[in-house]
Amino acid sequence: MASKGPEVPLLSVEGLSFSYLDSPRAALTDVNLKINRGEIVILAGQSGCGKSTLLRCVNGLIPHMYPGDYKGRIVVDGDVVAETPMGKLAQMVGFLFQNPENQIFMFSVERDIAFGLENQGLPRQEMRRRVDEVMGLLHIEPLALRPPHELSDGQKQRVALAGIIAMRPNLVILDEPTSLLDPKTASELVSLVSKLNKELGITFVIVEHRLELLTPIADRIVVMDKGRVVMEGTPTEVLTNPASSTHGLAIPPVFSLYSELAERGSRLPRAPLTPEEMAQELNAP
Amino acid sequence: MTFVHQNGVKALDGVSLTIEKHELVGIVGENGAGKTTLVRHINGLLRPTSGSVLIDGADARGTSVAKLSRKIGIAFQNPDHQLFSESVEHEITFALKNFGFDDALIEQRLNWALDFFGLKEYHKSSPLILSGGEKKRLTLASILAWDPEVVVLDEPTVGQDAIQKAKLLEIARTLHSAGKTIIIVSHDVEFLWSLQPRLVVMKRGRVVEDGPCAVVMQERELLEDARVSQPQLVALYESLSRRPASPFQDVSQALSWVSGERR
Amino acid sequence: MYWLASGLLYRRVVSPFTKLDPRIKLLIAIEFFVLSLLASSVIGVAIIIASIVAVAAFARSLRRVGRTVAFSLIFATFIFVLNLWIGLGLLRSLTFALRFIAIIGSTSIFFITTSPDELEQIMKWMRIPRDVVFAFVTAVRFIPVVMLDAFQIMDAQKSRGLELEKGGLLSRVRNLIPVLIPLVVNSVIRSGELAEAMESRGYGSTPKPTSLYGMRLRWYDKAVLVLSLAVFVLALYIYHFYTFPF
Repeated sequence: MASKGPEVPLLSVEGLSFSYLDSPRAALTDVNLKINRGEIVILAGQSGCGKSTLLRCVNGLIPHMYPGDYKGRIVVDGDVVAETPMGKLAQMVGFLFQNPENQIFMFSVERDIAFGLENQGLPRQEMRRRVDEVMGLLHIEPLALRPPHELSDGQKQRVALAGIIAMRPNLVILDEPTSLLDPKTASELVSLVSKLNKELGITFVIVEHRLELLTPIADRIVVMDKGRVVMEGTPTEVLTNPASSTHGLAIPPVFSLYSELAERGSRLPRAPLTPEEMAQELNAP
Repeated sequence: MTFVHQNGVKALDGVSLTIEKHELVGIVGENGAGKTTLVRHINGLLRPTSGSVLIDGADARGTSVAKLSRKIGIAFQNPDHQLFSESVEHEITFALKNFGFDDALIEQRLNWALDFFGLKEYHKSSPLILSGGEKKRLTLASILAWDPEVVVLDEPTVGQDAIQKAKLLEIARTLHSAGKTIIIVSHDVEFLWSLQPRLVVMKRGRVVEDGPCAVVMQERELLEDARVSQPQLVALYESLSRRPASPFQDVSQALSWVSGERR
Repeated sequence: MYWLASGLLYRRVVSPFTKLDPRIKLLIAIEFFVLSLLASSVIGVAIIIASIVAVAAFARSLRRVGRTVAFSLIFATFIFVLNLWIGLGLLRSLTFALRFIAIIGSTSIFFITTSPDELEQIMKWMRIPRDVVFAFVTAVRFIPVVMLDAFQIMDAQKSRGLELEKGGLLSRVRNLIPVLIPLVVNSVIRSGELAEAMESRGYGSTPKPTSLYGMRLRWYDKAVLVLSLAVFVLALYIYHFYTFPF
């Protein structure tokens, strides 16, 4: 399902500039970006670099909800975002916001998962089928009738994600999905993302400061600084480039060790993504 | 400083912990393991149902939160839960006025805090216009300003980018070397690893491990059970077939060992 | 304090009463309400209160209904004393006081056994506009969340030496400012995030949204419906033709 090739990209951002109403500063300046079907892309950069603004442009909150000075265009799956109604965009682009608490509206998990489907006006049987399917996929069936205040942060996160997946989007945006989670829950979320990518072919764009969590599953990292895309490439290309730390990226130790070694003339044959992979390289005679 | 603390309710279950003056302590554990509840006992926001909390050897039972806070400053996770003043300056002096500092001292402490936390240029601005990282530093400034002996940081790195994290690391190190007792509750194992604190692992309201960071972080099964992951450098160290006596504390240590091996 | 917040949370209880169609639960509550208003004797109201207690037990919610009723006792006592004082006589004053308890009991039985989801369905069934229904749902959903915010803010400010209970009335009010401002700021942030999340899940994209749950009267509901109406009519008949001794 997930084919990665030079075909028509799922998402293409073309010369996008944007400044919010009554803000003198441009939040985005001439952003160009293409994301292919089935990719997992990390969007990185320090706070205030324009990541959130770009994400809101992709799912249509900008310009539909936040007007401003908008130049250029974004095309998702053949539709120009600025000209497509929010209702349709909601089915194409899912958005998991940072705080799961503020995206659960209903009093039971299954009802909340159905929220987007109700808004679409799907018949009850179809909703029931999709809700059950998604709960199975995310292993949250036992929570079906629980009210949100009885859920842990990790469970809330899963429920919010389930509500998005139920709408069957091609592209899902995750905005700092692990910031409130403990390490193990965070890595479980990462495995879930990888599974959804493989099994359903969902393309992910993920904003995350703790890069070490996501580099093992990411195809690409896109780095933003001051409203522009400044670097782009595979995790190894970006994180072993000395420029990346000047853009405020926290280089995971494995990558800094790899590039320091290379600089000292003992480059490892294969660039590792995890500590275990690095140890393998080092253990090799 | 000593506190022993025991509690009958589920949130905390027979916790006994003694923290000495000038110690640097990290507390880890999954969400709901009781870390936040434990922290709230230190300055009396919560009182134990059984057992006791001793501060400087004295039972905290009869002492008000305000009195205890004078000695123990807690910086909670979310800056938006405490910033309320019309200016950064007022935000910092709020507690000092509550504690009855005189004007000259307030002035002096304000200047120190603005300077130490890099907030000088904003001293007249509203806290609401600050960035996430600046808000975090203002929160710390508003607490360190009254010079508490013990500083508790609740999830200091949540939502902070690499640059802010580096600043927080620097702040924690400076405060510790200035003689403060520091307690950090955090999920961020990489951040804790850089600080090498004494590490307390909590699970379901109990303290399940307590020891030097470098030792505790190697107890893979225990950490797994408490849903804490290992820092990258420890995971790397453990997967090496030939390795030094203890894990690498930072990249440069790892680098010098690895390049020595490969020569 | 935390206890107060938890009291506001809906707790799912499975019982023969809670699984009734919410409209039937509403009807039963209304029947109790009307009967309490019409009852004019101590025995009459006492029988109603006893029936409410029986239904609450049947709904496995005796303790929660009991808690609200216990709370209403304060006001009931006040009503009793007031009526006695204006010269209504012992029996009539007692009737008024008991009637108040019965009214509180009948309404609380409905709200305690009905989930916010069911309330929403009833509101939709009454053809209340969706935006209004949704505003209600979100308000109920976020009451405990905002209360938790308030507690966390109070903790943060107390840790900065704020003493909420210190001083006279004026300074106590002033002491609330450091709590109220962050609470308002947080609520504004929260509502902004909610609006974004709603938009992103296509709220309002079709004029005819559907619902995962529906209300359908099963034979069980119909049986209870007939039974409750029969008892109601019988009670009205007794009220009309029979006079209790006191």
